[in-house]
Amino acid sequence: MKNRIEEIRNSRGIRQEEFAKLMGVSRQTISSLDNGRYNPSILLAYKIAKYFDLMIEEVFIFEEA
Amino acid sequence: MYDKKRFYLSIFWIVLGIVLMALSMAEIMDSSMYSGLGGGLIAVGVLQTIRHLKYNRNPKYREKIDTEISDERNRFLRMKSWSWAGYIAILVEGVGVIVAMLLGQETIQMVLGYSVCLLLCAYWISYMVLSRKY
Repeated sequence: MKNRIEEIRNSRGIRQEEFAKLMGVSRQTISSLDNGRYNPSILLAYKIAKYFDLMIEEVFIFEEA
Repeated sequence: MYDKKRFYLSIFWIVLGIVLMALSMAEIMDSSMYSGLGGGLIAVGVLQTIRHLKYNRNPKYREKIDTEISDERNRFLRMKSWSWAGYIAILVEGVGVIVAMLLGQETIQMVLGYSVCLLLCAYWISYMVLSRKY
C-alpha cells in the first residue's frame, strides 16, 4: 500500500526522529513506512492520520492488486 | 516495561551458574560441560543485570528500550523471524531424515523424525489455540 507520509511530514517540516517519537515507534519504522516497505497496523494508521488531521484514505492509498 | 521479573531471572542465572561451576569444581558433577554451562549462565546473568541497571538509571536508554519493545514493526519482525525459523527447522530436519536414511543412521533418522513431528504438532496446537482466540 502506498502512502503520503513522507510528503506530508516534509511539508510540515517534521523529521523522522521527531515523528517516530510522536507516534511511539522507532525511527526505522517511520523510514520503512516512508519507503512503503511496511504497512502499518490500523491503530498506527489511525494515529498517523489523526496527527496530520486527515482521513486515513488521504494518507494511505489503497490499490487493488 | 522492562519488568522486575527479568531482573530476578538474571539473578537466578548467576546463582545457577555459580552452583554449576562449584559442583563441577568440587567434582560432584564430573564434567567440563557443567563448568562451561555455568560460566555461560553467569555471563548472561551479568549482562542482563547490567542492562537492567542501565535501564533504571538512564532515562534515554529506558525510552529507547521501551520503544524497541513496543514498536509494532519490531513485533512484526520478531514474529516473522520465528515463523521463518520454524519453516527452516522443518525443512532442514526433513532433509536430515532423508540423508540419515540414505546413510543408514537409524538413531539420527529417528531423532530428526520425532523432532519434525514435534514441530508439526506444536504448529497444529498453536493454530487451534489461536483460531479460538482470534
